[in-house]
Amino acid sequence: MSKIRALIVDDSKIMRSAVKRALNNLMLADFEYVDAKDGEDALGKFNDEIDIMFVDWNMPNMTGVEFSQAVRKQGYDKIPIIMVTAEKSMGKVDKALNEGGADEYITKPFTPDKMNKAISDYFDDDGNIVSGDDGEEEEKGFFKSILNS
Amino acid sequence: MTLAQLKELDEIPVELVEKVRESVLNTFESILGEELRYVGESNGGEPLNGIIGNVNVFNSEYTISLMLAIPKETALFFSEVFIGMELPFESDDMGDLIGEISNILAGDVAANVEKVGFRGQSSLPTATRGSDLTLFMPNKPPMERMKFISEHTEFLLTMVLSESN
Repeated sequence: MSKIRALIVDDSKIMRSAVKRALNNLMLADFEYVDAKDGEDALGKFNDEIDIMFVDWNMPNMTGVEFSQAVRKQGYDKIPIIMVTAEKSMGKVDKALNEGGADEYITKPFTPDKMNKAISDYFDDDGNIVSGDDGEEEEKGFFKSILNS
Repeated sequence: MTLAQLKELDEIPVELVEKVRESVLNTFESILGEELRYVGESNGGEPLNGIIGNVNVFNSEYTISLMLAIPKETALFFSEVFIGMELPFESDDMGDLIGEISNILAGDVAANVEKVGFRGQSSLPTATRGSDLTLFMPNKPPMERMKFISEHTEFLLTMVLSESN
């Protein structure tokens, strides 16, 4: 099982720990973590070795959506971006998925089950990232269908 | 609701109060995993030995300020259920935790009050720890104080509606 490098972006250290604990408990992969305290910090730490990102929305200096947009503009289309946020309105979900380029949207407080449902399709049985897969597009399509209903 | 109407208000419109109360119940029941009850309005009474989480939901015209007054014992219980261990009350992590809980509440409130026509966004949260803490509003804006209890917790939420600066 190869190491999966996950960038955890949240201004709350407690929440970064909670995300890491949930990921460890799910045992989907062998994770190695990089912490960032806001979008600006995350941009400085982002590089080709990052496999997946878990990003809060409401942060000082640069929001999670601004960070996601910046990453996508650099041409990183395949790397999964999972928004983990307290923002719950459909307008926000829409903005994160469509304008921010996020792949999934998890609302806080999250349960291990909620986290598992959102991200398990991104990993194969050997703990490797599956990127750009059809299931991923279907999920995003599911969110879009809610938004349009 | 117009600005002129807000100036004449003695109380926050009941639809907003109900949506905020609903959000507190939803949010904290999810976090605590136990039933939470609204036990009525509170006069704010005794000074608090604990921690206050502050966060706003705002738009260009109005601001809903939410102040969670959390006694020390309840804050310790929150840390147990939220991160699986009791945090030292005096630690920075405790402030971080209460700020994050306030942030989660504000996210739910923002989505919920939108249903009754208040479209806003949440601010970044802050937390203040201390003893003998008393909340007071010098300009006497429309305000609602609500008390909630569950098996292991009790806390107050003060909600204030004001003009945005």
